[in-house]
Amino acid sequence: MNRRHAVKNIAFLMGGALSATTIGVFLDSCNPPSDKKGASLFSSEQDLVITELADTIIPTTKTPGAKAAGVGPFISMMMAECYPKDAQDVFVKGLDDLEARSKKEFNNSFAKISAEERKQLVGKLRDETIETLKKDNEQAEKDKAANKEPKKNPNFFAMARDLTLLGYFTSEIGATKAYEYVEIPGRYDGCVDLKPGQRVYV
Amino acid sequence: MNLNTKAEAQNTYDAIVVGSGISGGWAAKELTEKGLKVLLLERGRNVEHIKDYTTAMKKPWEFEHRGRLTEEQKKRHPVQTRDYPYTEFNESFWVDDLDCPYTEVKRFDWYRGFHVGGKSLMWGRQSYRFSDLNFEDNLKDGHGTDWPIRSKDISQWYDYVERFAGISGQNENWPALPDGQFLPPMEMNCVEKSVKKRIEDKWAKSRIMTIGRTANLTVPHGGRGSCQYRNLCSRGCPFGAYFSTQSSTLPAAVATGNLTLRPFSLVDHIIYDKESKKAKGVMVVDSETKENIEFYAKIVFVNGSTLGTTQILLNSTSAEHPNGLGNASGELGHNLMDHHFRNGANGEAEGFDDKYTYGKRANGIYIPRYQNMGNDKRDYLRGFGYQGGASRTGWHKDVAELAFGGDFKDQMTVPGVWTMGLGGFGESLPYHENRVYIDKTKKDKWGLPVLAIDCEFKGNEQKMRKDMMNDAAEMLEAAGLKNVKTYDAGSTPGMAIHECGTARMGNDPKTSVLNKWNQMHEVNNVFVTDGSCMPSIACQNPSLTFMALTARAADYAVSELKKGNI
Repeated sequence: MNRRHAVKNIAFLMGGALSATTIGVFLDSCNPPSDKKGASLFSSEQDLVITELADTIIPTTKTPGAKAAGVGPFISMMMAECYPKDAQDVFVKGLDDLEARSKKEFNNSFAKISAEERKQLVGKLRDETIETLKKDNEQAEKDKAANKEPKKNPNFFAMARDLTLLGYFTSEIGATKAYEYVEIPGRYDGCVDLKPGQRVYV
Repeated sequence: MNLNTKAEAQNTYDAIVVGSGISGGWAAKELTEKGLKVLLLERGRNVEHIKDYTTAMKKPWEFEHRGRLTEEQKKRHPVQTRDYPYTEFNESFWVDDLDCPYTEVKRFDWYRGFHVGGKSLMWGRQSYRFSDLNFEDNLKDGHGTDWPIRSKDISQWYDYVERFAGISGQNENWPALPDGQFLPPMEMNCVEKSVKKRIEDKWAKSRIMTIGRTANLTVPHGGRGSCQYRNLCSRGCPFGAYFSTQSSTLPAAVATGNLTLRPFSLVDHIIYDKESKKAKGVMVVDSETKENIEFYAKIVFVNGSTLGTTQILLNSTSAEHPNGLGNASGELGHNLMDHHFRNGANGEAEGFDDKYTYGKRANGIYIPRYQNMGNDKRDYLRGFGYQGGASRTGWHKDVAELAFGGDFKDQMTVPGVWTMGLGGFGESLPYHENRVYIDKTKKDKWGLPVLAIDCEFKGNEQKMRKDMMNDAAEMLEAAGLKNVKTYDAGSTPGMAIHECGTARMGNDPKTSVLNKWNQMHEVNNVFVTDGSCMPSIACQNPSLTFMALTARAADYAVSELKKGNI
């Protein structure tokens, strides 16, 4: 009933910060629920990979990054509690693939290679994901034209990135240090001069 | 006095109000203030003002799933999860769909909140009057039956409820959207001001844009605090800054000393007395103990929400009312409507890079209906309005697809592109075949038969949707926005949570359930003043009209009672 949220959601669907793939997974109530509970979905090695992946997506800059904000454990918990089984399977397989690739290209676990090496691997993963999503979208358009329900394919990198952004920017560090958190604004001012260095208000 | 009469006396009130949401709260307030002893029944739990708004002061990081839902929650809420309102932020305000099933002959998204206050706690708060254009449309184009009232019958009651509820807004002297008794309006931001000016110039004020009229207080009012601009209304407001049963009507009713509130009281049916041809009271199922209890009164107000009310009436059968109470017309359950929406356009505003906003305004802008008025003629009946707004987020145009890394992160933290969106809200026609009925093959957790809903949008709505998209884009482009894109995310009845109809008012008992006072034609001590009474839905958000009709009906009911006519 809050229309501003509705508009925002539609904005997301139209290419905002979150990908349509992940939104699709959230809205899809037809998938069988997972029986995994708590953070038991991943091995401790996989948890380390998730933490480093999140920190590659949102690293420390002039403000602390995803690792400091505890985003890794957040992603592990969210995947276990808030995603259906097919998305969990895709995520676990994505982690395994990333790890295998790291060992093949850099002879070591993703958790142990350098930040620069991680960036290279994640860059490739991102490029492939863009290709995959493009194909998925084309297929969805075809399905829609044929009056078929378009299939929603969970995607590893898209999910990891979405959860990293969500987890980071809603964390205490992300909200108060990267953004400017104002708990009780007390007034609305529709036209203020943008101050130098002004961060996004949340 | 034998035991039975003693029990009966204990369970007897002057009036019973079924349901404690927006209209039920108003009925309880008005009837108690006029001196009646009132029993207010609510099927769900109590929610105490402020104390029970358990998430209202939580910070974003204090929500374990940051607003998202667990698979377990999704499993128990297959309907509530279909759209945005149901989230971790106010999870406890939404119905457990598995406990309260219904039958969808066609898809109908039924959003329900079973607790004291009902949906008045989560509502969108947009508050618009109906105009004579709306009251006359049924008569003019022959869809549905004529409204038995016009603006002159209800305007003083709009005044009355606006003054008490506290509606902020701007008077505009627009024929399709009557002015009201408003608190100071919220401010438009700089992009909205610019868009307003350019639209009104381009269309020479044959289209206007105004700040949303909202039941949020812009100044302290009636002992309640003013809006703090957190935009967290749907969690319950600890400042009492928006209208809800809890913040407004319930305290007023309690203050009279005449109110008894009984939560966990699911009304099974209204008890009909064939001797007096009146309702004798209601039978309640205690929703905790499943015990059956009867309550009695001289007047019954049914305010169980549009479909909840009709379900009770359909379930109230007797030899005299075999098809539901007051249903000789056969119209009970028919003419279900909702707004169709979720389409429009968005664009980017340039030239405001040095400007920003402070505070989170839980309100947007409104463009009232301008179609099929004056010289504006369309190839469909009736029309639509727009809600929307401009904002500046952390999104930047030059961010690569699926970007990541330090530069991306830092860029996300500084204000980026200004965007402005317009989303249409379209009127749907009252079709007789859009209906609900009791499905005896399925029962809810309390053993009551469930409601079946058979409702769809049709050709008139589909035609209108094209204009809702294209007009939005046309106006945004005229206002100088760039990269304007239309969207249509699809709309199913129920999604707007503005469901109306199924027990309509009308002048003719042969074609309507209620008369012009919201009084049942056949059973004159039963009043229905929630959304079910509406003969048409217009394109405005309907809750303010439920409030005005309720206050008006309560005034009439008490005067009839005093005259001995009830």
